[in-house]
Amino acid sequence: MHRTLRPFELLEPESVQEAVQILASAPPGAKIFAGGLDLVSRMTRWQVDPPCLISLQRIPAMDFLEVGENGYLRIGPMTTLRSLELSGLVRERWPLLQEAAHQIASVQVKTMGTLVGNLCVATPASDMAPVLFVLAAQLGLVGPAGSATVPIEDFFVPVCQSILEPQQIVVEVSVPPMPARAGTAFKKLAHTKACIAKVNAAVLVTVEDGLCRDARIALGAVAPTVVRAHKAEQALQGKPITRRLACEAANLAAAEVTPISDLRASADYRKRVAAVLTQRAILAAAECALAPDAAAAWHALAADPPTPAGVAGRTCGAGSQGEPA
Amino acid sequence: MRKAAATFFVNGRSYEELVPSNMTLLELLRDRLDLTGTKRGCSASGNCGACTVLVDGKPTLACVTLAWSAREKQIVTIEGLAKEGSLHPIQQAFLDHGAVQCGYCTPGMVLSAKALLDQNPDPTEQEVREALAGNLCRCTGYVKIVEAVLAAAQTLKSGTMTGGCVPW
Repeated sequence: MHRTLRPFELLEPESVQEAVQILASAPPGAKIFAGGLDLVSRMTRWQVDPPCLISLQRIPAMDFLEVGENGYLRIGPMTTLRSLELSGLVRERWPLLQEAAHQIASVQVKTMGTLVGNLCVATPASDMAPVLFVLAAQLGLVGPAGSATVPIEDFFVPVCQSILEPQQIVVEVSVPPMPARAGTAFKKLAHTKACIAKVNAAVLVTVEDGLCRDARIALGAVAPTVVRAHKAEQALQGKPITRRLACEAANLAAAEVTPISDLRASADYRKRVAAVLTQRAILAAAECALAPDAAAAWHALAADPPTPAGVAGRTCGAGSQGEPA
Repeated sequence: MRKAAATFFVNGRSYEELVPSNMTLLELLRDRLDLTGTKRGCSASGNCGACTVLVDGKPTLACVTLAWSAREKQIVTIEGLAKEGSLHPIQQAFLDHGAVQCGYCTPGMVLSAKALLDQNPDPTEQEVREALAGNLCRCTGYVKIVEAVLAAAQTLKSGTMTGGCVPW
């Protein structure tokens, strides 16, 4: 009978240690199998032909989503994008994660796909990667040489590669608590809402006394890997976030990206859209940082207040969480 | 393993099958169990949603799921919805609203709709559209499908409120 997939050996370890041992002795090309969404679809097209899959599906308690003792959000290797999207904890305390997960593809894809899988695919168009950049997330890896923790900014290597060794497994994503008085926003442009991003932008700003104290801006699908827009971040430091300043910073961000032309968008279009999305995300994040009570005080300070357009219905849990007690 | 025996619970019935590791759930359902209501649409790339089935109640793309991964789990296909000759209210609503044209996307649409209504009995139109975003239809333009799902929600709700006479 015809089979879509070429034959392979399927192994099902029952602990992470066993998975690491199996992976260490597995033939070259062996793959870790979690949600399987990307891997199986590439195998059906014969783009990859692994001799062996090592499944994480039988290992207990790999789909955790909880706050650790240090206040970090811990996300397991089998935790799906749908779990992130639906989690009340995430919505309340890390709304940016929920906002980005909500905009990914379809319910089916989010139900099957894991966050860690999304990162290990290492596509520059990942919606979750820029978000984790601005949230300063860390990845927990295990391998034959032991455990390691790497900041997500050090994880990706151009193009569609990561520093993950063939014998290492990502076992956790941890996200620090949101800083006080921080606001966040994620903006994405795609052909339809269920499509992969042409450009996306994630922003975190911390606003104190009406002035931007810290800004983190990351853009996706506009370079071989996610780009941190450092010049744009510096332009915001110490100033009230007005529409004009957001526009200037967004133009700096667009100047830092090096997009390609492909079937989804031209390089020139991506650059222009990068500026637009960055500006919108900065203003929305600032609005979020100030919401709800501080907004009035801020409006008195800034001559050119941000537009509330496009932020209706967003959760600004982190902003209110950051208000002084 | 390259081939092993496993139990599958499909539409309330249990099947013992010897499955190779490289068999997809879609192949198991269509080629082995003759449940051809689940469709193969986009050449198994997970884009079109025609192969959507419910695995433990969650909408799942059978074309990119290994059959082995679905063992010991409760699988619902379109064949499992009608009870004793009566269509499920979602199926009936699709008929009543003319939400079926060529019909190829319909099984996946109906199961995505069922997954939504099982979790959210009173969805907004926006929520229905988001729940069906992973199911492509190339005939209807979606309007009648969305209307059908909203109508089905009302039917299911009224059935529940009048004492649960609807057996779904």
